[in-house]
Amino acid sequence: MSAERFEVATGRGPVTVFAVGEGPVFGYLHGMAGLDAPTPCMERLAATHRVVAPCLPGFGPTPADPGLRTMHDWVAALSGIADACGITGAPWLASSTSAMLALEVMAVRPEAAAALLAIGPFGLFDVAEPGVDLYAVVAAEQPALLVADPANLGVYLHDPDDIEGDDLVELGISRYLRRRTAASLIWPMADHGLDDRLHRVNVPVTLVWGVDDALVPPSYAGRFAALLSNATVADPIDGAGHLAELDAPEAVAGLAAGLVADLSRTR
Amino acid sequence: MKVLWFHLMPYPDLPDGFRQDHRSVWVDIDPALYDREVGHHTYHDYLDELEYAAECGFDGICVNEHHANGYGLMPSPNLMASTLARTTDDAALVVMGNSLALYNPPLRVAEEMAMIDAVSGGRLVAGFPVGTPMDTCYAYGMNPLTLRERYHEAHDLVMQAWTSDEPFAFDGTYTRLRYVNPWPRPVQRPHPPVWIPGGGSVETWEWCAEMDYVYSYLSYFGYKAGEATMRGFWNRMADLGKEPNPFQAGFIQFVGVADTEAEARRLYAEPAEYFFNRCLHVHPAFVDPPGYRTEATVRAGVEGMVKQAATGKGRPRGFHSDLGFDEMVDAGYVIIGSPTSVAEQLTHVAEKLNIGNMMLLLQFGNMDRDLTMFNTRLFAEQVLPEVRDLFEDEWEHRWWPEPLPADRRRSPARAPSATEPGS
Repeated sequence: MSAERFEVATGRGPVTVFAVGEGPVFGYLHGMAGLDAPTPCMERLAATHRVVAPCLPGFGPTPADPGLRTMHDWVAALSGIADACGITGAPWLASSTSAMLALEVMAVRPEAAAALLAIGPFGLFDVAEPGVDLYAVVAAEQPALLVADPANLGVYLHDPDDIEGDDLVELGISRYLRRRTAASLIWPMADHGLDDRLHRVNVPVTLVWGVDDALVPPSYAGRFAALLSNATVADPIDGAGHLAELDAPEAVAGLAAGLVADLSRTR
Repeated sequence: MKVLWFHLMPYPDLPDGFRQDHRSVWVDIDPALYDREVGHHTYHDYLDELEYAAECGFDGICVNEHHANGYGLMPSPNLMASTLARTTDDAALVVMGNSLALYNPPLRVAEEMAMIDAVSGGRLVAGFPVGTPMDTCYAYGMNPLTLRERYHEAHDLVMQAWTSDEPFAFDGTYTRLRYVNPWPRPVQRPHPPVWIPGGGSVETWEWCAEMDYVYSYLSYFGYKAGEATMRGFWNRMADLGKEPNPFQAGFIQFVGVADTEAEARRLYAEPAEYFFNRCLHVHPAFVDPPGYRTEATVRAGVEGMVKQAATGKGRPRGFHSDLGFDEMVDAGYVIIGSPTSVAEQLTHVAEKLNIGNMMLLLQFGNMDRDLTMFNTRLFAEQVLPEVRDLFEDEWEHRWWPEPLPADRRRSPARAPSATEPGS
């Protein structure tokens, strides 16, 4: 299965997009670790879909955008990116910070996605159960809070064998910038007022959690479901952490396929 | 050379074993460690010490801003400086300073500093630090990504507020004010001198050069570790075509004076070990939130001094081991000795690093009031005269406060009394 990498123009600059597979479009929005290449989860989904995955600004090959300061900025940006890469109106899979962004976009633009598989979304914050603060633990311990198996973080954590010198420096800078961008979205806590807007999301949403997600505890699924009008809570996935699509690509892809099948039946 | 007396105002009663039993002196330090009565007495001791330093003839007295920590009990340096503006007569009041991004609107800084300058008759030095990540990003919840942009915008607002002759509108990204018209204005024209505390970032050097501000390298690790940073600063200044005026640079140094070096070791070992092993015990997670360092600084591989403190870099031994006093002295963190020896060492530091504003920590850690005043007096009487003429004939200090002339400046009426109207 051949993968494509291309750039699309948006009102805020070029965005790198990865695409794989043939068929109806499925939008894929990466989590906090960013995106450098098609993931195993994308490849599984590509058996039946053309999976289109933009790298959001500051999360890898798409340059950071200093103009993205507020949630309002991000909603406008992601809306434009979705249009530019052709995923508007398609079902989406979105993880972590991107799941929060997707829900924010869908709250102001309900037609943005036909359905959403939301994996460990940030966006709600309960002081009684805040989850672990990723930025109150040392950097060396952070990967274990993102995934159950750090090997699943790929180049976010591990240097590839075939790069060296300046490329290695740039990879290190890229890692810092995507950590910076992710932090900016959830600092000091991941609450931009989404709870007041979630009622506007009227398409089917499947809420997916890794059992081992300590950043956004699986109990948050109930909080999201209570505020959404058309939500299903999937059984938490064993052996998966916050970025469950990286730890359990097969299971997550299966849930995405199920969401699409349900969508077809109801249309 | 200007010699300044700097108080960090550390909490003096952190327990033995603090380093082993608690993960951080900052951000999530156990509130149960704070004794409210100790706090009451500590503020009085520390203000006494600052006032004493002014009486002893130091050129300036310095305070600074930190939050949620046992390292320094000054969430509001302006409160301390306002007290000192009334209780001192001639010393410069160096507020190092206000972390501009933390104030909403930042106009508050322009107002409060103008009040301090007004009360003191124009003795204020306005320090504008970005602030440590512990203070800004954790204790005050600032987003690391936008912290510096907020800081620079706030700086522009404050400077415009101090210098504009008319009310104006300020349309920033973070602050929007239809009417800016602060009363009072600073006594000093066009504004109090601005000093920028920095930890070694290239951007700060360039900004100080561009704005003609003093760069103050506030390192805990003494002159030996500071040499590379100050060399970098002066090299960058030369690259930018700026003159190497030592009065455009400040540096902080721990000092303990006694009649003999042996006596100095006996007196100052405990407070120094208290400071380095308890007050600098910051959890590493709090010193480098993603985005606090700029991309350029990350590229340059420059790490802030606070990070060095927490990770153990720059220290002779690792983060998890206590640092001994002999190591501190050998590494230059603390300068100790007889007055003659200290004067020689400080002269060497000033000349080597080209520093015209020497900020001295003559109180540190849990040093008590009596020892602090002993250290202060001995320094003032026997060291200060030996070092204060340095650079004075060669360079003009363009960054020192210009107060009202003494005959036009009010001193506090120590025992105010009522007078009859018209009398």
